[in-house]
Amino acid sequence: MKEKYKLKDWQDLPIGGVVAEGGNSADYETGTWRTSRPIWMEENCINCLNCWVFCPEDAFILKDGTTKTGKPRKEIESINYYHCKGCGLCAKECPVNKKGKKIAIDYIKEEH
Amino acid sequence: MSKILAITGAGAMSECMRQINPDVVPAFPITPSTQVIEDFSQFVADGKVDTEMITVESEHSAMSACIGAAAAGGRVMTATSSAGMALMWEMLHIAASMRQPVVMTLINRALSAPINIHADHSDSMGARDAGWIQLYAENNQEAYDNLIMAPKIAENMDVRLPVMVCMDGFIISHCVQTMQLEDDDKVKAFIGEFESTYPVLDTENPATWGALDLQDYYMEHKRAQHMAMKNAKDVIEKVSADFADIFGRKYELFESYRLDDAERVIIAINSVCGEIKEVIDERRENGDKVGLLKIRSFRPFPYKEIAQALAGVKVVTVLDRSESMGAYGPLFVEIRTALFDAPEKPMVYNRIFGLGGRELFMSDIHDIFEENKTYLETGKVEKMFDYLKVRGG
Ligand code: SF4
Ligand code: SF4
Repeated sequence: MKEKYKLKDWQDLPIGGVVAEGGNSADYETGTWRTSRPIWMEENCINCLNCWVFCPEDAFILKDGTTKTGKPRKEIESINYYHCKGCGLCAKECPVNKKGKKIAIDYIKEEH
Repeated sequence: MSKILAITGAGAMSECMRQINPDVVPAFPITPSTQVIEDFSQFVADGKVDTEMITVESEHSAMSACIGAAAAGGRVMTATSSAGMALMWEMLHIAASMRQPVVMTLINRALSAPINIHADHSDSMGARDAGWIQLYAENNQEAYDNLIMAPKIAENMDVRLPVMVCMDGFIISHCVQTMQLEDDDKVKAFIGEFESTYPVLDTENPATWGALDLQDYYMEHKRAQHMAMKNAKDVIEKVSADFADIFGRKYELFESYRLDDAERVIIAINSVCGEIKEVIDERRENGDKVGLLKIRSFRPFPYKEIAQALAGVKVVTVLDRSESMGAYGPLFVEIRTALFDAPEKPMVYNRIFGLGGRELFMSDIHDIFEENKTYLETGKVEKMFDYLKVRGG
């Protein structure tokens, strides 16, 4: 755990539970909430980015890529498990999964 | 210029709000607090204040807007009564837990049912655990003075808690009494500029208020809130001392009226204390050693100080103007707790009176002193808990 997030004593808390800085949810490990885990299967992915849109934790990491015809686009690079809370929305919303022939996001029980 | 004028308790509160000139006043009218907001909205309409007045659709919204405006970085005030405050319930706790120094006039009124618009303390006593500082007043001068002091107490950096300034509905809110209205500039100078903490309108320094707390932090936040309330005790005393220096009227956490050599004492809150003092003066003329302890600050509650003030007293009658069904009255519970460690414990008993505005006359107060005289003589409290003036006994 980062030093910054070591549990503080009551005397050291900012007043009234205020979150006194912006954008620090990026530092909060929602990954510990996970009981199930999405596994992204690159070989079956069509890079529609539905999963990236639906993910409530912004856990899909994108990279620059190109379409078959050479047009620039964003593609999925990986899932950030520090933030992925295992809700399964990505697997539900993936059109490849929906079609039912192949799986682009597998959704399995987390092993503890 | 400071002046003596004849004014209702509610009118005095709106005059005080005019002098304070808060940034935002969200409000929803309810009897008997309506005049506070009615008069104040006239001040807004006449351009006598710069306040942003928000007329909301309910008291829940009024308190929500208070919290939002305070978190945005403004000095915020409102007023309510009874069912109005009951509808604020959820937000009362949030204002206190988010440590927003909102100042509210509460004109005490009974809760329904049956519907009753008159004075008792079931509204504020029910909210005693909401985390608000509660100050009570015997008359409109005290209520006005408490309201001048309230922002200074609430906004103190060691406190940062909302303050409820209470007075009895109709008896004080609607009755005209003479009182000293202080000079506008002197009041403004006493209160000073509002200092905000992590205001959300400061976009350079983004802050989030009211976020989630889980098992890992909720208790620490509550512990810090408890400390703020403890600090409030010293701050109330300090602000009251400063107030006395400037305006000449002295206030403490409670008032000791002819307590020094008193054997039998009544403890009470708000307007009834005026009559009790009259009765005490009458009985003192005949050598009867009686006194009054009048609560001003119910939250925080000054346990130690009260125990000290009651040293040597033989019988204490605690008058509660509200009920906790199936238990003793809320004030009685505190007083007994305060006295538990006293080296010589007096007899202490509880009487419920005045619910829904039922009058307690001076003759009734004489009866109380006659009863506790018997208790002193026999050394026995005949009835620990009883009602005053209820038909059927
Ligand atoms: S399981 Fe939920 S949190 Fe995790 S990557 Fe998928 S949508 Fe995001
Ligand atoms: S929703 Fe499925 S197909 Fe679309 S980018 Fe995500 S994993 Fe690939």
